[in-house]
Amino acid sequence: MSEAPRRSTRLNKNQEDDSKAKAKPADQDVEMEDTAAKAETTPENKVLGVKELEALAIADIKQHFVLFTKSAKTHEARFAIRALRSVSSLRKRLTSAVLARTITSSYGKDDESRSRLLGYLGSEALGSITPEDETVASKVETPEVDVYLHLLVMIFLLDQGQLEKGIELSNVTVKMVQDLNRRSLDQLAAKVYFYYARFYELSERLAEIRPTLLNAQRTATLRRDDDTQSTLINLLLRNYFHYNLYDQADKLVSKTTFPENATNNQLARYMYYLGRIKAIQLEYTESHQSLLQAVRKAPQNNVTAGFQQEANKLLIIVQLLMGEIPERSLFRQPVLRKALVPYFQITQAVRVGDLNKFQETLAAHAATFNADKNYTLILRLRHNVIKTGIRMISLSYSRISLRDVCLKLHLDSEEDAEYIVAKSIRDGVIDATIDHEKGYMRSKENVDIYSTNEPQHAFHQRIGFCLKLHNDSVKAMRFPLKAVNQDAAEVEAARDQERTLVQEIAEADEDMDEDHGDL
Amino acid sequence: MAIAEVKRLAQALSKEYNSPNADLAKCGQYLSQLKIALIELSYLTHENKHDNIEELTLARDVLEIGAQWSIRTKDIPSFERYMAQLQTYYNDHSNLPASPLKYNLIGLNLLCLLSQNRISDFHTALETIDPEQLHNNPAIQHSIKLEQSLMEGSYNRVWSSRSDVPSKEYLFFIDILMDTIRNEIASCSEKAYTSLPLKDAGTLLFFTNMEDILNFAKERKWKVNPGEQKAYFHSDSDEKINIPADQIIKQTMFYARDMDRIV
Repeated sequence: MSEAPRRSTRLNKNQEDDSKAKAKPADQDVEMEDTAAKAETTPENKVLGVKELEALAIADIKQHFVLFTKSAKTHEARFAIRALRSVSSLRKRLTSAVLARTITSSYGKDDESRSRLLGYLGSEALGSITPEDETVASKVETPEVDVYLHLLVMIFLLDQGQLEKGIELSNVTVKMVQDLNRRSLDQLAAKVYFYYARFYELSERLAEIRPTLLNAQRTATLRRDDDTQSTLINLLLRNYFHYNLYDQADKLVSKTTFPENATNNQLARYMYYLGRIKAIQLEYTESHQSLLQAVRKAPQNNVTAGFQQEANKLLIIVQLLMGEIPERSLFRQPVLRKALVPYFQITQAVRVGDLNKFQETLAAHAATFNADKNYTLILRLRHNVIKTGIRMISLSYSRISLRDVCLKLHLDSEEDAEYIVAKSIRDGVIDATIDHEKGYMRSKENVDIYSTNEPQHAFHQRIGFCLKLHNDSVKAMRFPLKAVNQDAAEVEAARDQERTLVQEIAEADEDMDEDHGDL
Repeated sequence: MAIAEVKRLAQALSKEYNSPNADLAKCGQYLSQLKIALIELSYLTHENKHDNIEELTLARDVLEIGAQWSIRTKDIPSFERYMAQLQTYYNDHSNLPASPLKYNLIGLNLLCLLSQNRISDFHTALETIDPEQLHNNPAIQHSIKLEQSLMEGSYNRVWSSRSDVPSKEYLFFIDILMDTIRNEIASCSEKAYTSLPLKDAGTLLFFTNMEDILNFAKERKWKVNPGEQKAYFHSDSDEKINIPADQIIKQTMFYARDMDRIV
């Protein structure tokens, strides 16, 4: 229907951004597959490198199995989180051969999951199964490992662009997660839902999964499952935004609370969505705060370029709508520079209050703005342009005829100019009076700001901020327990562990946003 | 009730409504009968929504007439209810044949929100409209232009938009809008002018006879000088600036307490 053209442009953009964001890992995948394919044809002793890589990947997956099992047994989420964190680095090394071999060695011969998963991998993968994989085959111990393998195959299918298969498999997996109903699956479930929604989004069928997501969201909230909850809220918001259903999105936000312990990436997304909703509802101050948070919380690297661009575009518009001018340096950042060119020109037009230039820029970049879904927001800027124009005039002239105002601002008529000036006076944009009989506007003398309560107010704001900062820092301080008794060796070991953890987090951050790079 | 029966009723309704001197009370009766009948069809349940295109189209057409009927009977809450129900048909049932009235009604809804000064709802509603229609559809453009002129303060254009409405139903809301605007202009004038000749005030406020102006001036408590034929607005220059002692004391105490905590 009428929605089709917009959807398709959105999709194109999605894919574009996606491919941009993923260019690196995807290339690697292809490369590795080529080599993997060669490996089957050439004698084995020459391609030890590939085999080794495969073996390493398989070993990593197996290592994750151990972590998941441990996590399920000890009821400690952190092991599972640790395993999931390294999925992103594993993702680049996933090949059909690696997966096929892991699957055969992890399931019993007649296991239902085994045949299903192998079915999705295609016949090429079956050839790579070696006899020793079959012999070491042991039964999967926990459902966590089962779900994890499903997840890996899903990710693999997504990277291969096999959407139809992906949808099928994700349906099965989501059903599985819901039927199993285990708390130890929480972290995995969040990931599963994420890819589930991603598959549907890429196949343009987002509306279908809304009931499933809403159900899952309700369940997750009841169980205080923070990871799944935060992921699902974002997925639902994204779902509504896709169809421009801001009304529903707003209701969802007002009826849910976003979990405090959510990861930074999810929080950044949520803040972006919130900012957009508030911007549309004309609550610019709140929108501005949310967007600022979104921009700051988002990881600053090239992988998240899509998100940074989108968030900054919106931030610029909201700033302009609030009557502020964004900093020039923002437009110079290498990641943002190219994407922000149209927005830069709009900013310039608003800054000088030139209505003609504004209209020209708007017309020239209408397609870009439409694709970004920012067109209607930018249309609202028109009256900001006029306001700036009037302010400039009021500052430069102590007395000016309405006729000249009308000419300067390219308005339709003198009457219009009179109304507009009158409204600006009422809204506090300028301080002036109009003389109707003689047809001119007279600016009032500048009042001495220090004779008002204004400085006191500003002073209070700053002191309040400083005190709050101090109190917050005091609250945030942590003191190690029993630090004195610890052995030097223990400290060293703990440090080592921490270091690897930090590294893993950094890696995961880089990759977390690949899929939603475009947001 | 069978679908044939409902169809018969719906036809009777549309015939009555479209006749040149429609009996609105009778339409209302038809509508309430139809709503009961539709509940038995798939009007409210949306479980297997892809099946009953015929029933859904019927329900939508009835709702559309209902929405227009509410405007003719000047019943805004009823109009809003009909529009809320229609949203589902417009947004979620993409397999229905497009309705010729769709954008006209959406435009009306926009204007309705505007006339009640619900600007944020107005913008939210705007976002759901297809961009193509947003730029080209005269019914939608009318509301968008109106909102822009309102925000800028070009009230002249709002006034002149009366003459080029897309359909006569729009006039109802524009009349409501005019009252809002008149108050807007009045409050702007109070701030912008120190005094204003009554005759000019009349033109500014789109009044044509003197009596209306005088009544309006009384309502807004303007001082009218009959000799000069001028209205004077109370200026705010003689307002005294008080030192907000209470507030300052509170703030200082707050600083003292927090400083104490730090030291």
